[in-house]
Amino acid sequence: MKNGFYLIFILHLANKTEPMRILIIEDEKSLREDVVDYLTENGYKCDFATTIKSAMQKLNDVVYSCALVDVGLPDGSGIDIVEHIKKNSPEMGVIIVTAKNALEDKLQGLKIGADDYLTKPFHLSELSARIYSVLRRRNFGGKNSLVFDGLEIDTTEKKVIANGNQLQLTKKEYEILVYLASNPTHLITKEALADAIWGDKADMATSFDFVYSQIKNLKKKLNEADLKNYIKVVYGMGYKFKD
Amino acid sequence: MKLLIKTNIYTTITTVLLFAMGIFIVYEVILLKLDREVDEQLLFAKEKIVKGLNDGISSNDFLSNIGQKIYVKKVDKQTVFDNKFIEYIEKNPNDASSNGSITQRELLFQTDVKGTIYEVTVCSSLTEGKKIGDYIAVVVLIFLVISVIILFLLNRLISAFIWSPFYDTLTKIKTWNIKKNEVLNFKDTDIDEFYLLNDTVKDLTHQIQSDYHNLKEFTENVSHEAQTPLSIISTKLELLMQEENYNEKQHKLLVQIYNATQRMHKLNEGLILLTRIENKQFVETNTIELTQAIDEKLEVLEDFIEAKQIVIEKQYNKKITKDVNPILLTILLNNLFINAIKYNLEESGKIKITVDDNSFSVENTSYVDKINRQFLFDRFNKNSISGSLGLGLSLIKKIVDFYNWQVTYSHKDGIHKFKIYM
Repeated sequence: MKNGFYLIFILHLANKTEPMRILIIEDEKSLREDVVDYLTENGYKCDFATTIKSAMQKLNDVVYSCALVDVGLPDGSGIDIVEHIKKNSPEMGVIIVTAKNALEDKLQGLKIGADDYLTKPFHLSELSARIYSVLRRRNFGGKNSLVFDGLEIDTTEKKVIANGNQLQLTKKEYEILVYLASNPTHLITKEALADAIWGDKADMATSFDFVYSQIKNLKKKLNEADLKNYIKVVYGMGYKFKD
Repeated sequence: MKLLIKTNIYTTITTVLLFAMGIFIVYEVILLKLDREVDEQLLFAKEKIVKGLNDGISSNDFLSNIGQKIYVKKVDKQTVFDNKFIEYIEKNPNDASSNGSITQRELLFQTDVKGTIYEVTVCSSLTEGKKIGDYIAVVVLIFLVISVIILFLLNRLISAFIWSPFYDTLTKIKTWNIKKNEVLNFKDTDIDEFYLLNDTVKDLTHQIQSDYHNLKEFTENVSHEAQTPLSIISTKLELLMQEENYNEKQHKLLVQIYNATQRMHKLNEGLILLTRIENKQFVETNTIELTQAIDEKLEVLEDFIEAKQIVIEKQYNKKITKDVNPILLTILLNNLFINAIKYNLEESGKIKITVDDNSFSVENTSYVDKINRQFLFDRFNKNSISGSLGLGLSLIKKIVDFYNWQVTYSHKDGIHKFKIYM
């Protein structure tokens, strides 16, 4: 597992009514299963491949919206797959997954056109948020918003409309809200949230406190707009959006 | 003091003492022998004189034939019955060769020749003999000085030659670095003790090195191999936590497991980072202006600084430009600032950042007392502050060492100060 793994998410944006299809190319069974389960729950249709060969086969047969590619595959480097996708289906989103320290893989992957990268280990909620963000960016021109009952998050304009009124959120509050909203009904651990907002730059304990106070403010602002139950605090674990 | 010099001093002192004693004895023996010889000559002269007196030769006819002076006079009564030897120094300002004084030895005796008592004095000069003795002493002394010098030099030369493998061994052990994978190769020696020493040192260093590498490799492997199962555990846990309907006890257990796993994660990341710095995996450098890097770092940490309402005071006296690895500099600054924020007072805390010619310092107020300096930068030394992994300061130290910088810590009036000399 030296080079980490590439998961390829392929978003097919042409057909919006159908669930978006995502191809996960990952040879580690346990992780692959988790990713497939999690993304399926989030409303994506997932296929998977464990080798470059089978991935190429699938890419030829089916049109995907996004691909998640592990760099270290048993029969070669996932970078080859990224190149293949960029040549043949440039509209497809690609996220590469590398081992923590494989900086070269990361840079090379982004150079040849990967949309984003994740380093192992990652939070599943982070993956979901990244996929959402890649799909949104790929769908340029169109209006992007996450719409819930009484709440609309416009990710193009970075505006939040609650019951018709625009909420005044700080940058961090907005980031937290988008992250939670791109993983609806899932429990987002406080670690995942802290990591997403500061990366590993901040110390855990300090950032948890900060996340907590941000969530408190966010909930207060939502409450004031009469949206009471969007964010639920799961004691000791994290937060849930729209339970 | 060097072993060579020490042994040389002892041998030299001993040699000088022995030679001095030798000269003294030789000189004394020569003088003694000289006296005996002269005495014998005087006695021989006495025999002849007595015989001559008996034969009726006039006392005035005794001539000195062997450098002896003979004085004969008649006395009324015999007062001296045996031979009397007398030694005295005679002043003779005319004789320049003997410094104006001559050592004389004389034999005085009285003899009864047919009723007449004669007192005879036979006198012989000792100066020539003394001179010979002096010459001998001087020659021996010169010989002594020369031999001491030669011995000293020879000793030095031989010692230096003999001890050279030892000094070679010493130098090699001194410059030996466990972190470099080098094998010690010593100078060949036919001296058993040195050979044994070299052999032992070789075995020892080999053993230490292999232990060190095993241990290092083990640590590295543990942290690397732990990565994958740790990721699996935390991902599965996250999934498990998605489930609902846990009772309170189960919920609490899950939280505890999850927290411990996250802690383990961070710990492992820290250890891997330490190993990577040790293994020099951050070699590529960028030219970075320090005050700019500090400002960027503070901006990232702005949220935390604001949340604790910490007042930041910046004093940039100089712009420092350094060629450093950006990742390492980020980690260094991050750890310094995070500590300054994390352990700062809950209210009205302060952080002061000073940048000078070749150093910068971070000072902060804190609720923590002075940190025990001895173990300050040791791994896992937490100074009993909970919630910390104890790797932060160790990382700072590691990076500082990596660039041959210096880090100092001081504590005064409740202000903790870390200063880094670049």
